[in-house]
Amino acid sequence: MTAPRFPFRLLALATLLLSVLVFSGCGAFDSAQNTFSPKGDVAALQRDMFVLVLIPATIICVLVFAALLYIVVRYRQREGDPLPKQIHGNDRLEVAWTILPIMLLVGLAVPTVQGIIELGQAPKASDLHVTVVASQWQWSFQYTDPEYALADGSPLISKELHMPVGRKVGFLLQSPDVIHSFWVPRLAGKLDVIPGRNNQLRFDAQEPGTYSGQCAEFCGIGHPAMRFTVIAQTEDDFQAWALEEMNAQAP
Amino acid sequence: MAGAALAGRPVSMVEAVRRARQAAASYRGIWSWVATVDHKRIGMLYAVTAFTFFLIGGIEALIIRLQLAQPAGGLVDSDQYSRLFTMHGTTMVFLVVMPLSAAFFNLLIPLMIGARDVAFPRLNAFSYWVFLFGGLFMTASFFTGNPAGGFFQGKLGAPDAGWFGYAPLTLTKFSAGHGIDYWALGLIILGVSSMAGGFNFIVTIINMRAPGMTLFRMPVFVWMTLVTSFLIVLAMPIITVALFQLMFDRTFGANFFNVAEGGTPLLWQHMFWLFGHPEVYILVLPAMGIVSEVLPTFSRKPLFGYPFVVFSGTAIAFMSWGVWAHHMYTTGLGSVANAAFGVSTILIAVPTGVKIFNWMATLYGGSIKLNTSLLFAVGFIAMFTVGGLTGVTHSIVPSDYQQQDTYYIVAHFHQVLVGGALFGLFAGIYYWFPKFSGKLLNEKLGQAHFWLMMIGFNVTFQPMMILGLLGMPRRIQSYPDGMGWGLWNMVATVGALAIAVSIMVFMVNIVYSMIRGEKAGADPWDGRTLEWTIPSPPPAYNFAEIPQVRALDDFWHRKYAENESGVPVPVVAGGAYAEEPHGDGHGIHLPSPSFMPLIAAFGLPIIGFGFIYDYALVAAGAMITLFGLYAWALEPASE
Repeated sequence: MTAPRFPFRLLALATLLLSVLVFSGCGAFDSAQNTFSPKGDVAALQRDMFVLVLIPATIICVLVFAALLYIVVRYRQREGDPLPKQIHGNDRLEVAWTILPIMLLVGLAVPTVQGIIELGQAPKASDLHVTVVASQWQWSFQYTDPEYALADGSPLISKELHMPVGRKVGFLLQSPDVIHSFWVPRLAGKLDVIPGRNNQLRFDAQEPGTYSGQCAEFCGIGHPAMRFTVIAQTEDDFQAWALEEMNAQAP
Repeated sequence: MAGAALAGRPVSMVEAVRRARQAAASYRGIWSWVATVDHKRIGMLYAVTAFTFFLIGGIEALIIRLQLAQPAGGLVDSDQYSRLFTMHGTTMVFLVVMPLSAAFFNLLIPLMIGARDVAFPRLNAFSYWVFLFGGLFMTASFFTGNPAGGFFQGKLGAPDAGWFGYAPLTLTKFSAGHGIDYWALGLIILGVSSMAGGFNFIVTIINMRAPGMTLFRMPVFVWMTLVTSFLIVLAMPIITVALFQLMFDRTFGANFFNVAEGGTPLLWQHMFWLFGHPEVYILVLPAMGIVSEVLPTFSRKPLFGYPFVVFSGTAIAFMSWGVWAHHMYTTGLGSVANAAFGVSTILIAVPTGVKIFNWMATLYGGSIKLNTSLLFAVGFIAMFTVGGLTGVTHSIVPSDYQQQDTYYIVAHFHQVLVGGALFGLFAGIYYWFPKFSGKLLNEKLGQAHFWLMMIGFNVTFQPMMILGLLGMPRRIQSYPDGMGWGLWNMVATVGALAIAVSIMVFMVNIVYSMIRGEKAGADPWDGRTLEWTIPSPPPAYNFAEIPQVRALDDFWHRKYAENESGVPVPVVAGGAYAEEPHGDGHGIHLPSPSFMPLIAAFGLPIIGFGFIYDYALVAAGAMITLFGLYAWALEPASE
């Protein structure tokens, strides 16, 4: 080896780049809406399913790029090259690169369908029931279970979403105007809030904390600021909060 | 037919060519362009117009990127921002990529199938003028669409509900200005252009192929044009109907989407995406066709697995009708629908993969000329692979619930439409520019363009994937500090500026090469298809004599024969097969120039203005269009 310097410099550069990436990645890891740091069962399943497809996709991508780079460098035209052999095709290869992806994709389709069914479950009677009202441009959360009814029978209403940790919450999504989308990235993927429809979503929080939610469907000029806060707390804290609020909101 | 042929008098070849030249030269200067029905000139008009809209859409994109570069950006307000991103999307899809593809159809299809023009030359001119007027009509909304004030007071009037304009946000109750009217009427007008073009190319490809050019001797680009044209004529009516429903709601108080009166917002989404997903392939299949021409020429090998590339293209087109609801996983269609559309979306990856493997196999073992055109084609394969694979990640429905409407989606479809469609179109521009200008594009500038664009593209859009996974939604004009989004947004903005520089290099290259470029000659790349058999630029009549086609890649086989081991050997002139003895010639029939397509097209935006401002204009516009159509029907096709 006559020129050992070049790979070293490349290595140093790569290390630098990688550390920049990792550093900024770390800074962002606990960021308010990182889907890679789930705090609820649903978001965790969704993160896992993304990783499940990300791994084969990354491998295929790297293989294709490597093969492409190799082919273009290896077979680049040099001065005085003869014309290459004229190959028109190969049926076996065609069958192979049709069947193999199908097998891989069927492998992905099975957990996908399982995941859809898992996440498609309707809220159960034992869940905490919250009706989410999204309107231009605010959120309101109504606790519709009878134990949170005020004296006149109207539900407890909050601008922030309080939920007890470890208990599934069933959400009923309603909009009086345009389409919005209800999304708390660290707890669950989104579901649209469509006027005239009663979409339902079910998820939980696994750790107490404050999480950030945001409207995910463009709904007019107030859309960027249509955010809300989710406060996940222990069952006792939640009940204490609810009691306090019910007293405050008593008619 | 031409007078000479009608009279049954055989005309000598020389005389026929002379007459054809005369007919084409009967208008001069700018009028010869206004009245042109020559597919090559119409193609160039398409290209220049679409590129101009590309600059407008690009400026919109740059404003968006500058606004988002830092948290709480203050360049534009939320109202201006929503109009900018709506017009960026609408412009790039309907006024840039579709018409750029139409430019390639126009320039190349007659040359590649050995025809003198398209089947309906005046309808072709009509398509172009409708596109131009439709595009201008829609863009005018910036200046005239806002009753609250003018463009120069910072009150933009453009549509403000996003390029897919979800009802009920598009109803007058929620979008009171005229922006949405301009948008809906503009798209209806543009649909007329696309439909006319689509039918024209279907008929041209089916009916006008040179003798001997069977379907399976057609170049892949011709195949993809045929498939795309079918998608256009089947998909455009769907969005047209949806837009009519929207205009009924807005103009006449109908209740298609008005929930208060029992309307259904989701109807719009089904209609829009039933159009919208085939539309994705309308944008991408032409680029796939271009790449399938560029790769064999510069690898000096035939396309690997030609029938498989063709069939996978048609398979993609068929399957594109069965995946529309994957844009709607989060609308609550239910588990069964989501599972069905998830699986159909997973499957569409298969024919796409087949194409990518065949393109790589075409390069494999070749003698690859690494010029700008080939670099863009290889860039297309690489970036489209990323686009395709991120597409597969969306078909994993549970994880898509997280990514839907985030920057991850923005990253994905720009991979497909910029790294895919646009890179493919640039490969085509560098490949065929010499054919139509007679000059080669400068290689040094070309490679600078490619690398700047490739790097700029990746620096812009790969960070958006991270942003999406960090939970940044689309279509927000500003975002608070402390979300972890600032860095990646800044990086993306820097990348966007690099893309802008690359486009400037490209424009310099075009101007420089037009003036000082190296002369191209008829066949600068040792090409394989018929367009390289005629001079650069081609004469008005294309082929002095309609070619006889004997094989796929006919021109290549006239130049080279293969020996027993499959290695091509140059054919001594006339050695492959003797030219057919030709008779007296039939008299070259060229359609006469006409102003009528322009006049007929001009009425359409007037009708559009009429629906917004005063119904009297509807009548006036209709009169103009009717006059144009009647005069068109009554004037002789050629004098």
